[in-house]
Amino acid sequence: METNKIAVNKLNLFYGDFQALHDINIEIKEKEVTALIGPSGCGKSTFIRTLNRMNDLIDIVKIDGTIQYDAMDIYKQWDLIELRKKVGMVFQKPNPFPMSIYDNIAYGPRTHGIKSRQKLNNIVENSLDQASLLDEVKDRLHKPALGLSGGQQQRLCIARVLAVEPDVVLMDEPTSALDPISTSRIEDLIDELKKSYTIVIVTHNMQQAGRISDKTAFFLHGKIEEFGGTDQIFFNPVSSKTEAYISGKFG
Amino acid sequence: MTGIDVLKNRRSNTVQSSPQSRKINRQEIIAKGIICFFTAFTIAILVWIVGYLMVKGFRYNNDVSYDVTTQIEREIPLDNTDEDVVFIINSKVRSEDIPVAGLRKLYNKARKENWGFYNQQNLKVVPFAYEGAGSFSDDVMNFILTGSDLETYRKNVSQTSSWEDMIHRVGQTPGALGFIPASKAEGLPKSVKVLSVRRISLIVSPSVLRIQDGRMMREISQADADKLFSGKVVNWKEIGGIDLPVTLVFWDSKDASSIINRDEPVLAKIQIVHSEEDFYSSIVNTNGAVALGHYSSIESEGLSFIPVLRHETGWNLTWHFIFESPARSGQWGGVSYIILNTFFLILFTIIFSTPVGIMAAIYLVEYTNQGRLMRILRMGTETLAGIPSIVFGLFGFIFFVQICGLGIGFISSTLTITLMVLPTIIRSSEEALKSVPQSFREGSLALGASKLQTIIKVVLPAASPGILTGIILAIGRTVGETAVLIYTLGSNYDLVTGPSSSARVLSLHLYMLFSEALSFDRTFATGAILVILVLITNLSTTWIVKGVNKNASV
Ligand SMILES: Nc1ncnc2c1ncn2[C@@H]1O[C@H](COP(=O)(O)OP(=O)(O)O)[C@@H](O)[C@H]1O
Ligand SMILES: [Mg+2]
Repeated sequence: METNKIAVNKLNLFYGDFQALHDINIEIKEKEVTALIGPSGCGKSTFIRTLNRMNDLIDIVKIDGTIQYDAMDIYKQWDLIELRKKVGMVFQKPNPFPMSIYDNIAYGPRTHGIKSRQKLNNIVENSLDQASLLDEVKDRLHKPALGLSGGQQQRLCIARVLAVEPDVVLMDEPTSALDPISTSRIEDLIDELKKSYTIVIVTHNMQQAGRISDKTAFFLHGKIEEFGGTDQIFFNPVSSKTEAYISGKFG
Repeated sequence: MTGIDVLKNRRSNTVQSSPQSRKINRQEIIAKGIICFFTAFTIAILVWIVGYLMVKGFRYNNDVSYDVTTQIEREIPLDNTDEDVVFIINSKVRSEDIPVAGLRKLYNKARKENWGFYNQQNLKVVPFAYEGAGSFSDDVMNFILTGSDLETYRKNVSQTSSWEDMIHRVGQTPGALGFIPASKAEGLPKSVKVLSVRRISLIVSPSVLRIQDGRMMREISQADADKLFSGKVVNWKEIGGIDLPVTLVFWDSKDASSIINRDEPVLAKIQIVHSEEDFYSSIVNTNGAVALGHYSSIESEGLSFIPVLRHETGWNLTWHFIFESPARSGQWGGVSYIILNTFFLILFTIIFSTPVGIMAAIYLVEYTNQGRLMRILRMGTETLAGIPSIVFGLFGFIFFVQICGLGIGFISSTLTITLMVLPTIIRSSEEALKSVPQSFREGSLALGASKLQTIIKVVLPAASPGILTGIILAIGRTVGETAVLIYTLGSNYDLVTGPSSSARVLSLHLYMLFSEALSFDRTFATGAILVILVLITNLSTTWIVKGVNKNASV
């Protein structure tokens, strides 16, 4: 039984006069991994950032159309902070805060009012465990997070998102700044996480999309050129442009 | 390939190089030389400046003119008694010896007398005398009293019942001064020490002090005086005087023997007299005559004398200077209050300026978009930062002191300096906030933190090294500020006790010591403290910033 987690309807997005997204319609199903692929500059990041309203930070952005999360409009019905708690985000470049590993993970729960030491300890431990980072850092929880390797930092960022108990995790090219070994660890992690979370992931890497996603959306020039099951997109694309892109003819 | 091979290769490359590249190489070397030269030059100048300030600040090195020579007497013979007298003082008094005129003043003008006149130590003089009459104490009294009022003397001194009592009480009373017979001066307790007396003057015939060809013997260094009495000086012009032959006058052959029996030949003329009257008349009447005589005879006989320069050197910047409170406009005592006032000024300036400055910077960076308002504000802060501080001082005087009626005092000056350093703090905080990566903010916001939470918990900590640097820059400006304070802080050298107390801080104290010519040595000592303070501030910036960075990263 597949329920819609996120439903986007006739979304247009403008950076000032420049229209970056054209008439986007997409439905993202619960506990699936949806991959967004496409050549760079086609609006993948712009799109994924609208899902938790990160584009609000940019003054010149104007949006029309609707985005519903859990059947409620994210602009009109959801409280911004609640929405961002539910729809977490992992960025392209690992961005741990300049504080200890522990404080990084506890940051979210603390800002949402959890003070009990015991609870925080549990949350930190569980989140690190879920992000399969616990074994590597359990002896240095109070050391600066910026001392971790890039791959560890990215898993820390994932753990940090998990600590606020989200429902959907958005990832914008989470492995593009990492080496192959770290990348494969994160892919394994995503595989693990999709049992409990709905995941939307932007990726530049076709193989990655093929390996980890259930659905794939192909973006081109700010439009969704094609959206469907990953197998179908990869092996049986409808659009010739999709086929050209998949087979590496441009991008 | 080893390192040496690499070097060889490189060398052979240059050998084969084209004229063009050789020319470039030569230019490179010349440019490097010029840069090195100027760097070394700058560093040398800096080291010289700081070194000079430090040396002058730490040690004094002066020639001081006295009516008496440097010769000191521990035990002083009295006219009518066999026993010598020894003057004793409390050990806390930082004097070892004193000209006899000073000693007399200490006894006779005790109410107003202060050791500060002799050693810059702000300590009242408490003179003691022996109450038992007798030829010895009468004799000492005569020695002390020459020409003074017996009544005032009686009123001023405290009487002691025995010599033991005298020693005990002098040891107990700070600033105490007393006397004992020389026979009792063995094995004095630690709390008491002997004050030697200098009472020998260089008596000359008035002819020596004449003006000739615009030259005149004003004073003489101790070294020249020694040379004079070793008989090596034939003419006064050899030691800076006029063209006049020297005649050394001695009271009797016993005095003269000290030089006559030496191996070296005596070149100067020598005259030996056998009575007091002959002594004085021969000094007065012989052109170019000079003799060593008691200072008291100068007064009683109306003789001429040459002041002697004593070379005095020692520590300028002592713990006493740092920990004692100032007195007599800073001529005596130390600068403890002044240092404390400086810290108070810094503390309150930072308390007032930091929150306002940081909040303004947060508003500018986090809450406004870079529009015209921003540009105007930026121009405003930059202009403010460039305004000469004396103009701020004028503004502070007109606005805080007069219009707000706060009066000259601590609060007016703190507010004025706050206004002055605010642009610095705003600018540096702004830069620090801008340098915090946007990804920190996004990361925090994406976790559902509000903007305020993000700023307080992520942005500010990440910006703190930069903000701290700004604060310390502001401290540096506050420490060095004088112009503003002249108009708003006044010149009282007491400790700040309330918002309206007038006070001095180090820079202002330095300015006043210098401009009122109170003490050159103290000006430099204060300057050295300022330099050290600035040095500590700068080093602490480095340490703090390093510490904060260590917490933040690896
Ligand atoms: N802050 C911005 N202001 C203006 N234009 C932007 C901004 N961010 C992205 N764009 C433009 O929007 C388009 C889509 O960008 P983006 O979503 O980053 O692409 P992708 O992530 O697919 O590479 C690009 O043409 C880009 O230049
Ligand atoms: Mg992108």
